Amino acid sequence: MKITETIDIRFPKTLAEALRLQAGEKTRGQLLAGGTDLMVQWASGAPTPERATSIWNLPELDAIEIFDDFIEVGAGVTHAFLRDAAPIHRHLPALVAAAATIGAAQIQARGTLGGNAANASPAGDTAPALLVSGGSVLLASRSGTRTVPLDRFWTAYRRIDAQPDEIIVAFRLPRKGSARERFRKIGTRRAQAISKVMAASRIRIVKGRVTSAAIALGSIAPTPVRLSAVESLLVGQKLTPALIDEAEQLAQATVQPIDDIRSSADYRRWASGRLVRDALENL
Amino acid sequence: MSTLKRTWKVNGQTVPIRAPAGRRLLDVLRDDLGLVGTKESCGEGECGACTVIVDNEPVVSCLIPAGQLPDGTAILTIEGIEKTRIGRLIQRAFLECGAVQCGFCIPGMVVSSYALLVKNPRPSTPAIREGLAGNLCRCTGYTKIIQAVKLAAARLPKRK
Repeated sequence: MKITETIDIRFPKTLAEALRLQAGEKTRGQLLAGGTDLMVQWASGAPTPERATSIWNLPELDAIEIFDDFIEVGAGVTHAFLRDAAPIHRHLPALVAAAATIGAAQIQARGTLGGNAANASPAGDTAPALLVSGGSVLLASRSGTRTVPLDRFWTAYRRIDAQPDEIIVAFRLPRKGSARERFRKIGTRRAQAISKVMAASRIRIVKGRVTSAAIALGSIAPTPVRLSAVESLLVGQKLTPALIDEAEQLAQATVQPIDDIRSSADYRRWASGRLVRDALENL
Repeated sequence: MSTLKRTWKVNGQTVPIRAPAGRRLLDVLRDDLGLVGTKESCGEGECGACTVIVDNEPVVSCLIPAGQLPDGTAILTIEGIEKTRIGRLIQRAFLECGAVQCGFCIPGMVVSSYALLVKNPRPSTPAIREGLAGNLCRCTGYTKIIQAVKLAAARLPKRK
């Protein structure tokens, strides 16, 4: 018998049913969306849970809704769907670029935005793009819903601000408006690679001056992070070559990456600065 | 463990499924249905050898618990693809281009090529590379595989 067959997986058909299961200590299970992370972990020998609750294909988690100021993306939306969705291209282009770098077609067809966020890997590809939007996560439980700002959602290495009875239902992501976005991932190869470092940015320039700046990096800290020191340096300034030099150096001085199997701390620090430069030179 | 009772459409045929809910789609196809054209290599979603098409999307069958596929799910494996016109064009092009060496990755390559050509009948070289990026081959170096997909695309019947 294969290891995943030992797990008692429930398949609720509605969000209400899933929330009911998660509300009870004896019925609650490990939430399982597209399985592109969890099935891999289980296959590679990670401890398996007694129970799992499948939230793949729940109709309530599937929508992309457009509001005046933000886009609400259901947690069950796949990376393949994000890549094909015109409103995401228009209002959240860094998220499209991030989704396109995940795994390859087979993984993008199953991996979900909610799953990527819940997995809370520091190398989660969509996290920096979500962070620069300045948006929030919508969580539901049987007792109600609450929102958590994305910059407080990833609390520690592989930890999220969610209670055991809560399910991520959607992301409220402010539209970029006149700002420019960029996303770049550095990995060993273009597909099927986990990043060494990656960066997303959303920068608005009005009459030659930076009026707002959001820059986020992945794979350089226990959680995805915003580079607030660099952002503060930029706001109100003209993007001169000297300022870009300064931003690159400040990024390198600020980050505290580690050595691991995918890269070294030194390379990651250097590349963090280069990615900040890349974002500012390609607006 | 709950036993699953489902009815899927596998390669166009209605098939009753009885399996543990957590059984991987790959194992249902190979062990329960005897469709051994779908290969297992890494078992971790990296290599693409177990690629099949589920509801028109290419997926790796090693990462899908059977219970996640509801009644009526349409599954196309290499055994179904080789009965289609596009599938046969792809197979012939792989043979003519010498795109097959040990052959273990090839069912997955053909399935991904099929998924690509159905969506994009005139793919550019970068589009072919991206479409096959989730399929690893340790023999060929990919050049002839990419040539084969191009040849198959060129021979596709013209559509309006």
